[in-house]
Amino acid sequence: METEKLQSPIVHLAPLDQVLALGRANSLWPMTFGLACCAIEMMAAGASRFDLARFGAEVFRPSPRQCDVMIVAGTISKKMEPAVKTLYDQMPEPKWVIAMGNCAISGGPFVFPGQYGIVEGADKFLPVDIYIPGCPPRPEALIEGILELEEKITGSRRWPRVQCG
Amino acid sequence: MSAEVIDKSLETFVLNLGPQHPATHGVLRVKLTMDGEYIVHAEPVLGYIHRMHEKMGENRTWAQFMPNTGRLDYLAALSYNHGYAMAAERAEGIEVPERAEYIRCITVEMNRIASHLLWFGAFVLDLGGFTPLLYAFDDREQILDLLESVTGARLTFCYFRFGGVYNDIDDNFITGCREFIKRLRSRMPMYHDLVTKNIILIKRLKDIGPISQDMCRRYGATGPVLRGSGVNFDVRKHEPYSVYPEFDFDIPVYTECDSMARYMVRMDEMEQSMRIVEQGLNKLPEGPVMAAKAPKILKPAKGDYYCAVEAARGSFGIRLVSDGTNTPYRLKLRSPTFSNLSLFSEACQGMLLPDALALMGTLDLVIPEIDR
Amino acid sequence: MAEMGLAEIKQALSGLAVTDEIEVVKTIPAPPPAEGEEPGKPVEVKEKIQQTMLFTPDYAKKGYHLDVKVTPEDVVTAARILIGQEFFLEAITGVDWIKEGQIEVVYDFNLWQKLCRVVIRTRTDRAKPEVPTISDIYSGANWHERETHDFFGVVFTGHPDLSPLLLPEDADFHPLLKDFKA
Repeated sequence: METEKLQSPIVHLAPLDQVLALGRANSLWPMTFGLACCAIEMMAAGASRFDLARFGAEVFRPSPRQCDVMIVAGTISKKMEPAVKTLYDQMPEPKWVIAMGNCAISGGPFVFPGQYGIVEGADKFLPVDIYIPGCPPRPEALIEGILELEEKITGSRRWPRVQCG
Repeated sequence: MSAEVIDKSLETFVLNLGPQHPATHGVLRVKLTMDGEYIVHAEPVLGYIHRMHEKMGENRTWAQFMPNTGRLDYLAALSYNHGYAMAAERAEGIEVPERAEYIRCITVEMNRIASHLLWFGAFVLDLGGFTPLLYAFDDREQILDLLESVTGARLTFCYFRFGGVYNDIDDNFITGCREFIKRLRSRMPMYHDLVTKNIILIKRLKDIGPISQDMCRRYGATGPVLRGSGVNFDVRKHEPYSVYPEFDFDIPVYTECDSMARYMVRMDEMEQSMRIVEQGLNKLPEGPVMAAKAPKILKPAKGDYYCAVEAARGSFGIRLVSDGTNTPYRLKLRSPTFSNLSLFSEACQGMLLPDALALMGTLDLVIPEIDR
Repeated sequence: MAEMGLAEIKQALSGLAVTDEIEVVKTIPAPPPAEGEEPGKPVEVKEKIQQTMLFTPDYAKKGYHLDVKVTPEDVVTAARILIGQEFFLEAITGVDWIKEGQIEVVYDFNLWQKLCRVVIRTRTDRAKPEVPTISDIYSGANWHERETHDFFGVVFTGHPDLSPLLLPEDADFHPLLKDFKA
């Protein structure tokens, strides 16, 4: 979305961009695009215990025309690849892609010599912004991925980082 | 309810359902030929999540294939672990200690309850009700916490080994299971009040989507789909394995053959699974959880073997062909939802599209299990 | 109870079982030693015998009750007998015996009323594998046969639509053959 030049010279454009970025980051609408096992952890992240709604991302839209972010959750098979590309192309700008799970990152446990059926990672044909490893990643990992995406969009992180150990 | 729409001279159009669709529970595509809102012909198109499990079975050693079984039907992964472990144990002749058998049955039944809870939430979500999903997921998280403390995984379990299980259960798990059963039993009346007795659900499911016994026989349908059509067939009672003969539980069978019958079968199965877990915890013997003489590298005798277990969705079968080496020669996975979905095309002819989706929901599909 | 169902179906299918020449290993015990001589060792001989390929294996070891090998044409007759006895079709699959140049198609059947698992096998030439379809008897065989065709290239003659089920629509490879290279 282009920002139009406003008539009044008092309004600066950079803060407007920042406001827009803040708005986009805190209301990311994901697409219901669960392919395999990771989809269940995505559903669990949206459900009652992990509650993605706290971060503004609970509105999973089936239609790509209404989404901001495509969470590729699951293995992409060669038969499915054209459908994924079509869905990505149908999403309006600005759009982001999160590759959730080992299969979306690099093919996961299904890569073996002589494999004939899967695409080894979503980044082979899509521009991926965030990679969330795991098989399947915990819902908390998906939430951390969404927070990383927010940081990528706004430039700063609003939520505290949890230190391990 | 369904119109006679066999006359093909009607003006029809083709509607594509999926592969990305909220109600198909995975990447299933159905090519629908529609006459208005009525379905004239439905053709499921599969293969969008074909992950080459059977080819991997030939490239992996017997032990290396175990994680694959968790990723077939990830909602009830322990039953699939169980089927594969039993098949290899049968081929190699390994005996499992009794404590391990009890632990296997207890964890499989807890997984079955979790799978049915998720089915319940997702099914009512398909019909348009969002709230039961959140309640069901809350209960399911309690089960996943318990199973995670023992197996280390929340979803794609790889807990069974040839000869037993790899980790023993502790007192926290036993107390946790008992508390959970008490909690779920107190919440089931709420589920029935909120959902089962809801007039909208009854209107959506009663007398909708009949699947006759003859159709079940011709397509090989098993599991709650078969039991909702009046056939008392459950592998745990019909072909007893593990320590299921020690437990006292019923098989819910409903004869109405409609979607409501299949829904009620699964709700009642949750109660029966809770009974099995209770009895298992009460009768749990002491002892090792792994066979003393389990070989590290399996090399079963040449020949083929078959093994079936009752997974949450039906009868899961494994046909193993061994050539005496440490990798299987052929590993066929008989998936229950594959046979259950094959009758969708015949069952939904002439139905309204929303009714057909309600029927598909009661078939309880997990597409990666169909595509393997 | 299981024995009643097993005996009936064994009787019904016995006419269809093929007779194969198979090699068995026979152990001939050593002759008794003469006075003062060491006892001899038993000798193993390989012998070819005619065997009717109808077995009732040990269920606890193998997991099924009856194993019948038939010709590809008799598969349809066997399926008709089985559906008449109220069996249901569990699975159809293939096994690629590349060393023998054959593809084996295996049918698994089961019964609701009693515990009785029946396995029907047939072998067909690997270069041109053809088996008649049973999808007009068992409607579920439609998908199982499509899958077996996908993985092994077995052509089920008379099948209404043998297009790929699990592989992409334009796939022309059969991945579960032993000489498949991606």
